[in-house]
Amino acid sequence: METSAPVAAPFAAETIGLTKRYPLTWKRKVLVALDHLDLQIHPGEVFGLLGPNGSGKSTTLKLLLGLIVPTAGEARIFGLPTDSLEARRRVGFLPENPYFYGFLNGDETLRFYGKLCGVTGPKLEQRIEELIELVGLQNGRERPLRSYSKGMLQRIGLAQALIHDPDLLFLDEPTAGVDPLGSAQIRDLIIRLKKMGKTVIFSSHLLEQVQEVADRVAIFSLGKKVLEGSLESLLIERQSTQINVPADLSEEQQQRLREALGQAGIDSQDIRFTRPHLSLEQLYLRTVQAQGDPGPRNSPRT
Amino acid sequence: MISSLNRIIVIGRNTLTEAVRQKVLNVLLIFSLVLVGSSVTVSQLATPGLDSAGLFDAQIKFVKDFGCGAIGLFGFFIALLSTAQLIPQELHNRTIYTILAKPVRRSEFLLGKFFGIVLLVALCVALMSLAFAAALYWQELQGLQATEAIYSQNPNWHTDPVLANAYNHDVQQIILQTRDPQLIEAILLIFAKLIMTTAIALLISTFATSSIFTIITTFMIYLIGHLESTAREFWLAGGANASIWQSGLVGFISLLIPDMNSFTIVDEILAGNKVPWSHALNLMGYADVYIVVLLAVSIVIFNYREI
Repeated sequence: METSAPVAAPFAAETIGLTKRYPLTWKRKVLVALDHLDLQIHPGEVFGLLGPNGSGKSTTLKLLLGLIVPTAGEARIFGLPTDSLEARRRVGFLPENPYFYGFLNGDETLRFYGKLCGVTGPKLEQRIEELIELVGLQNGRERPLRSYSKGMLQRIGLAQALIHDPDLLFLDEPTAGVDPLGSAQIRDLIIRLKKMGKTVIFSSHLLEQVQEVADRVAIFSLGKKVLEGSLESLLIERQSTQINVPADLSEEQQQRLREALGQAGIDSQDIRFTRPHLSLEQLYLRTVQAQGDPGPRNSPRT
Repeated sequence: MISSLNRIIVIGRNTLTEAVRQKVLNVLLIFSLVLVGSSVTVSQLATPGLDSAGLFDAQIKFVKDFGCGAIGLFGFFIALLSTAQLIPQELHNRTIYTILAKPVRRSEFLLGKFFGIVLLVALCVALMSLAFAAALYWQELQGLQATEAIYSQNPNWHTDPVLANAYNHDVQQIILQTRDPQLIEAILLIFAKLIMTTAIALLISTFATSSIFTIITTFMIYLIGHLESTAREFWLAGGANASIWQSGLVGFISLLIPDMNSFTIVDEILAGNKVPWSHALNLMGYADVYIVVLLAVSIVIFNYREI
């Protein structure tokens, strides 16, 4: 008689020795797009894929979606083969620089993708209302997508990725070409999705944003994963401590602090007083929002 | 199974919507103008006083030839050009990723696209057939008017039984020609041939890297499909000293490429000859078998294609 061992909850996404090579027949060479990738992403995690162009991030996403077939290794989504319909039902995808059917308007686009996922009738219409609200595309509902700005296309792309309420989201450069305010909104949306218990795997070149939302990151280079870990473990400098005080310290105050820290056994030569910097993004957002700008204007592409 | 069919229908309808919104159907406006224009021109060439039946016989024959020819030609271009750009455009715009990342099989995507073009071609053929029917009806009215004008030159044409009979006979002849139910058979055969062309173009486009390649290759296959029966007759039936490899090649080609020439039976219908429905249905069955095989091969190739 067979006895079944207790099964651990599957990873949201898992790759084992995942490899993709493209033979360049004419040059008699082989392009290694991804080389033996081992990755384990837990449910509910926000995972950032970083790396220069052509480092294998998009290839990883396409392999995880079952859009391309690996040369070696395997990939699984919630323990399911990536090319199975069951796996795809649990996955939403926003491609890089998304381009949808320009002849459809916002509502029609979501209706089309919803029906493909088996969402129909009043449930679909309700879902469309929710998503239009979520991504802030009220003014794009009746407009054909060919008149959308890049930011609007990214947002309709996010909405279509979410139409069937997937558990895992793949976002390929979700903030590429979007203005800082729109980009901040997408970041906030990722945070909301995380709170809803979704797993998000995304690639981005905006390192600061990745830092703000990702639990863990992997850095790719030339088709290989060269670094992986939680931001906490990767970014904290354990050899130093920063103290923030809400005042501009005078020379005298600084000297007294040095003395106090010296008494605590810290060499006063190593103590530095600096003023914290705002990031340019923080400055931009503060300034624009102070002007009462409610968000992206959804202006057509010029 | 039902959800699979639903997805095919959703993709098919989207393909049709795209074609309609990109104004493919405007081509049909040109078709209608050409058809009506030619019909009017031909009837203006009519010289009063000629034997009515003979004259209108030629005119109606012209409109029928022209109408069916134009339906076949315009339909061919619509089917070929729409199918050839289906997959390259999806790949170029990367919309294919957004669809295949959903719970959609590649076979469903391909069948949905095919279904969309079948709907488009059916819509085009139906609309062109309506314009064709209108042109024929106009010819009928012209014919009846002219016949009456010729007979009314004789004041006794109503009372003279011989003249009245001749008049009725001529009227019957005109109506028989313009309302020939065999024309439906002809249009269905043209439609079957168009769908076969669509399936060929779809198959080519599953491995082609550009629309131009698909268009040219499909066009070549279409031509070979028209010529192969002649070659077969010459090399095989005629026994014209064909070597084994020549016979083998012709046999292989005729197995691989559908015999388009058999659809020229439409010309027989237009010439007024009776073509039994059983023959037309046989031909449509032949087209269906080819279409199913072509689609099956397309799906296999497309499943392995790197996108």
